[in-house]
Amino acid sequence: MKIELKKFGTTLISRQNGREAFAAFQPQLTALSENENLELDFEGVITFSPSWGDEFLSPLLKKYGSRLILINTSNPSVKATLELLEKINQAAFKVH
Amino acid sequence: MAEQELITISEAAEMLGVSIDTLRRWDKSGKLSPIKTSDAGYRLYSRSQLELFLHDPFGLAKDWVLKGTEIPSDFYCSNSAVFQTRLTRMQDLLAGVKELAAIFPLVVAAAGEIGNNSFDHNLGNWPDTPGIFFAFDISKRSIVLTDRGLGILATLKRVKPELNNDEKALEVAFTEILSGRAPESRGNGLKFVRKIVAENPIGLLFQSGDAELTLTKDSDVLDIKHSAEPFRGCLALITF
Repeated sequence: MKIELKKFGTTLISRQNGREAFAAFQPQLTALSENENLELDFEGVITFSPSWGDEFLSPLLKKYGSRLILINTSNPSVKATLELLEKINQAAFKVH
Repeated sequence: MAEQELITISEAAEMLGVSIDTLRRWDKSGKLSPIKTSDAGYRLYSRSQLELFLHDPFGLAKDWVLKGTEIPSDFYCSNSAVFQTRLTRMQDLLAGVKELAAIFPLVVAAAGEIGNNSFDHNLGNWPDTPGIFFAFDISKRSIVLTDRGLGILATLKRVKPELNNDEKALEVAFTEILSGRAPESRGNGLKFVRKIVAENPIGLLFQSGDAELTLTKDSDVLDIKHSAEPFRGCLALITF
C-alpha cells in the first residue's frame, strides 16, 4: 500500500496536526494485508518536523518495523527529522 | 479585517523615505521585495513588512516578554492555527528566494518546532497572555519567536523534577533526548533545532528564565550563560 504524505498537507509541523493525520489514516490501514509493505511517499512535502513525525511515523515504525518503507526522502527537513526520530525510537527506518 | 494592508510602491517609498527607483533596485537585489505583484504588474508591499524593515522585531518581542507592552496584531498568534497559517506564508515567501533553496525547509521546520513548543507546553497553563509573538524579516534573514509562558525550566520539571536552574534546563532541552511519553508528549524539537543549526548556515539565540543560549552557524558548540535580563517565558532569534 502506498500513501502520499502530501495529501495531509505540504507543511507537516505540529503534534496536533500529526495526531489528526494519524487518526484520519487509521481506516485506510485496515486494508493493509498481513505481509504487505506500507510505503510512505514524501514527494511534494515542503517542510517536515519531528513533532508531526513523532505522532505519525513513530507508531507506524513500532507497529510495522521493516514493512514500513519511506520513499522520496531527499528534502533536508525530512532527512533531519528522520535522523532524530531514529534516535528517539532507537530503530532505523527503511528508506528506498 | 484583512490580515495585512497592501500599499503601492509610491506609498512604500514615502513610508521608508526613499525613491521609487531605490525600491525597484532593492527588489532586484533582494534587499526588499514586494509581498506580491498585482494582476496589472504593479509591486505591492504590506505595511507590516515595511514596519519590520524600519523597526526591530527583536526589540518589540523583548519588550513584550519583559514588560508586557502591546505588540502589533500582525506579530501576535493567539493560537497554533494562526501560527500555522503565518508559518506557511513565511514558507511560501522563503521558497521564492533563490539563495535559500537548499535550507529554507530547515529554517521553517526550526521555527515551527520552537513556536509549537510554546503552544504544546503551555496549553491550559498560560500565566497571562496566551499565544506567541512571531515575526520574520526575509530581507534581514531573521525570525523572532517569543512566548509569555511558563518557560523551559517549569515545563521540563514535569518530566525531570530534579532540575533546579534555567541554565541546566536549557542544556537538557537542547541536548538530552527525552523518550518517556508520560506525563506529556515530548517533541524533542529543540534537539532538532540544535542539529540543524550545527549542520547548516543557521544561527540561534534562545533565552528562557535567566539563561541565554547561543548556537552559532555551522557549529555544535552550546554556549549557555547567565542573562542580565531574566523573564518568564521564551525568546528565540533565528538567523539564516
